[in-house]
Amino acid sequence: MKSKRRSFANSPFWTALMTVVCVIYLYPIFMVFMNSLKVETAITTSGAFTLPTADTFAGLSNYANAIGAKGFLVSFGYTAFITVSSVVLILICCSMCAWYITRVNSAASKVMYYLCVFSMVVPFQMVMFTLSSLADKLRLNTPWNICIIYLGFGAGLAVFMFTGFMKTIPVEIEEAAMIDGCNPIQTYFKVVFPILRPTMVSVGILEAMWVWNDYLLPTLVLDIKKYRTISMLIQYFRGSYGRVEMGPMMACIMLTIFPIVVVYLLGQKHIIKGVVAGAVKG
Amino acid sequence: MKKRLFALALSGAMLIGLLAGCGGGGTSGTPAPGTAAPETGAPETTAPAADGSVYYLNFKPEQDEQWQALAEAYTAETGVPVTVVTAASGQYETQLMAEMGKSEAPTLFQVNGPVGLANWKDYCYDLSGSALYGELTSDDFALKDADAVYGIAYVIETYGIIVNKALLEQAGHSMDEITDFAALKAVAEDITARKDELGFSAFTSAGMDGSSDWRFKTHLANLPIYYEYEAEGVHADAINGTYLDNYRAIWDLYINNATCAPAELSAKTGDDAVAEFVNGQAVFYQNGTWAYGDVSSLGDENLDMLPIYIGVDGEENQGLCTGSENYWCVNSQADPADIQATLDFLYWVVTSETGTTSLADDMGFVCPFRSAKPSTNYLVGIADQYIAAGKKSVDWCFPTMPSEEWKNGVGSALTAYAADQTDANWDGVVSAFVDGWATEYQLSQG
Amino acid sequence: MEKALKRYFPIFVLPTLAAFIIGFLIPFVQGLYLSFCRFTTVGNAQVVGIGNYLKAFADSTFTYSFWFTVLFAAVSTVVINVLAFLVALLLTRAIKGTNVFRTIFFMPNLIGGIVLGYIWQILINCVLSLAGKPLLALNTAAGYWGLIILMAWQQIGYMMIIYIAGLQSVPGDLLEAAQIDGATSWQTLWKIKIPMVMSSITICVFLTLTNSFKLFDQNLALTKGEPSHTTEMLAYNIYNTFYARSGPQWKGIGQAKAVIFFVLVVAIGLIQLRATRSREVQQ
Repeated sequence: MKSKRRSFANSPFWTALMTVVCVIYLYPIFMVFMNSLKVETAITTSGAFTLPTADTFAGLSNYANAIGAKGFLVSFGYTAFITVSSVVLILICCSMCAWYITRVNSAASKVMYYLCVFSMVVPFQMVMFTLSSLADKLRLNTPWNICIIYLGFGAGLAVFMFTGFMKTIPVEIEEAAMIDGCNPIQTYFKVVFPILRPTMVSVGILEAMWVWNDYLLPTLVLDIKKYRTISMLIQYFRGSYGRVEMGPMMACIMLTIFPIVVVYLLGQKHIIKGVVAGAVKG
Repeated sequence: MKKRLFALALSGAMLIGLLAGCGGGGTSGTPAPGTAAPETGAPETTAPAADGSVYYLNFKPEQDEQWQALAEAYTAETGVPVTVVTAASGQYETQLMAEMGKSEAPTLFQVNGPVGLANWKDYCYDLSGSALYGELTSDDFALKDADAVYGIAYVIETYGIIVNKALLEQAGHSMDEITDFAALKAVAEDITARKDELGFSAFTSAGMDGSSDWRFKTHLANLPIYYEYEAEGVHADAINGTYLDNYRAIWDLYINNATCAPAELSAKTGDDAVAEFVNGQAVFYQNGTWAYGDVSSLGDENLDMLPIYIGVDGEENQGLCTGSENYWCVNSQADPADIQATLDFLYWVVTSETGTTSLADDMGFVCPFRSAKPSTNYLVGIADQYIAAGKKSVDWCFPTMPSEEWKNGVGSALTAYAADQTDANWDGVVSAFVDGWATEYQLSQG
Repeated sequence: MEKALKRYFPIFVLPTLAAFIIGFLIPFVQGLYLSFCRFTTVGNAQVVGIGNYLKAFADSTFTYSFWFTVLFAAVSTVVINVLAFLVALLLTRAIKGTNVFRTIFFMPNLIGGIVLGYIWQILINCVLSLAGKPLLALNTAAGYWGLIILMAWQQIGYMMIIYIAGLQSVPGDLLEAAQIDGATSWQTLWKIKIPMVMSSITICVFLTLTNSFKLFDQNLALTKGEPSHTTEMLAYNIYNTFYARSGPQWKGIGQAKAVIFFVLVVAIGLIQLRATRSREVQQ
């Protein structure tokens, strides 16, 4: 009886069921892909589920339009630059800061630590208006320096996670390095940095997901006359040009999802691990 | 109390300035003493400012490309940088608000009339001495407050019921017989009765989603307000709803003689209405001159326009609804060089060959400026014929509507009523219209 | 070592601290202050006392969005966690293809809120129009459930991963012992697995709850709060108060709403943590 149930529990039935569920789960993305291949007039409210036919098949023209006329590539470049610069900055600065906080036992360290924890729970709406006007005053409104804002607003989570990990590293190795004549900077980069690598990956992934997909902060902070991130571009598609150009928009959505999926499939193990680490500590 | 009196006095001053049309000034918002003082001082020269730049936050998404081209042409000609950003549709206020807080704020923006002006007056440069103002054909198109000119209308638009004449004749009727609401109703109901035989309906679907609902919650709602103002004078602080029964009558006519059942209206969009009209499924389509691009494929010879009759005495003489809710304002808090550059740019747009051609031909605008070229828009020609025939144009009163909130309230109530046409549901419309107006007016006085 | 490190404060801490002050501390303090002011820019604030708070509470769209958000958060938290836990249970069994399934379930999580919102808007509007029902822009119920489906789609994968980690850490001998004692799989689930993964449950419930409360992008993209603000959640309501309402009084009210919102999010986090922590099994 028991063994029977066991075999049922592991039977192909569940695999089949999960396969069906997964196909349904992926359907929305597939639907957008199908529609991105249709000509403009064939993309209707009630026809979103129909596959493109010989008459309505548009080939890759929507993609060409999105990349060419709609400035997708430019936005993609800005978004990529902002994400990479912000994440690198966050990883380096926050890990250094976290090391100081864990190793220097002073009131300042404590205050800094608790402020970071506190900043993690504050919703963005609380600072949205004041932050955007401050950023504007300091001219932190270009893709080249918006990473400073991201460092400031993202520091909470990063410092929190790094200190969490740092507490588990024995201090002896570092002390040994110092005795061997390393100054703190050398000690940090030669000893601490390598140990931190797994946490770096976790924090990096969490922050990258946030920055890459962020909409409100760049919308309010960036100079919209010149720069649009991908999220802003897609939002602009929806609202602008009187009638929405659905074809290029669907193509844009696909073009946005595609690199994410590729990166995800390549670094799946790290990403999932990073997320778990972030969640468990957060 | 003193402050109140002051506000009243200022409202009165505004009223005098705005009596043209029914753009009532009662909604002057909270006039902040001192800040309203018109700014003068920047010298008026026609030579382009050497170091200024222009940033135009454009309201009309459909003309985005043309503005970009115009900006480029101007920069090529004068070297003055012009940036045009078009706000996503329905996001203009949001974007303007966010942009105005920045250090590189728009130098040129738009308000929709007195209510919009009340919110932005602190940012409006007094245009009364400008060359642009000198080009204006009539003071009716200036947004004034006492002697100061804060906004200048740049496009005159007209709406009514666009008619597919070919279909109307196919149904055995002609334009001439429709001279009032009763006749319109008779024709529409006749077409509905023979819907299956004819293969088309009287009206396009009155979609109530965001892409189409403004045709009813704003443009159609204009008519009862217009007649109330006509009868009782402009009073934007509260509306009595004297003509709401007429509003109901025309709304009933629209929804009960449309291409779809009234309850399905909420699943229709503006695009659906255009498609129905262009594909010959409906004879009547309420919209304006700006929609010419959408319907031109029917052929000019098949197009005509009817006034929106709602069954008021003397409406045989009623014309189309003509007005503007697009006023240019120059940001007074911008750098003086930028202000000058903006004024120069606008002057160039309304006087130069390139500018006027673009406005008339590419954008299809009727502009109230001396050197404006005639618009190539066929619907505009129809509107002119009505005026030539001595019909009295209906003014656009919706700039006096207290807020977007109010429009949305009316829109929701109309949708609910369309789904179930009971008196109780109509009371909901009346309440949104009358009580909602009072509430929102109070709120806007803050 | 501590002493040596202390001298390096400018290198180790200052960059982060400076950015933190710009990116968080100053805006936060200013925000608190401005919630008691009438202002249109940070520069022209005049203190008006608690008037903004009173007006915020008197604003019916705000109270409505509060209840809407509460209802949304409650239902989505339950839906997401129950489904994620079920999927995790299934995927911790030795069935074929678990890795592929895990990969697929997690994927939507990586897509940004704006994009997700539009994908689902197209899909839901299509379903509604085929069914002859009002589209999202006119349909509060569809907007509500649409948001829940969207959130579930996005978050189930994430929560599933956490639950899987939790379930895998349940000691095997404990399960075997239960089996020897004749426990049914139902009993094993309730008596052993769930208590053992209580910490995962705490984390997930906490995460979904705060995510739901802070939801913005998806709300903006999917329903835009339509019809007439009836699907507007708190974060979006605050945004609208700031940027969609014109008039000099609204910015202050918006900032007051933001402070209320902030207090709410912190309070929920604290209460929720305490409530579930107390039921955790001491390991």
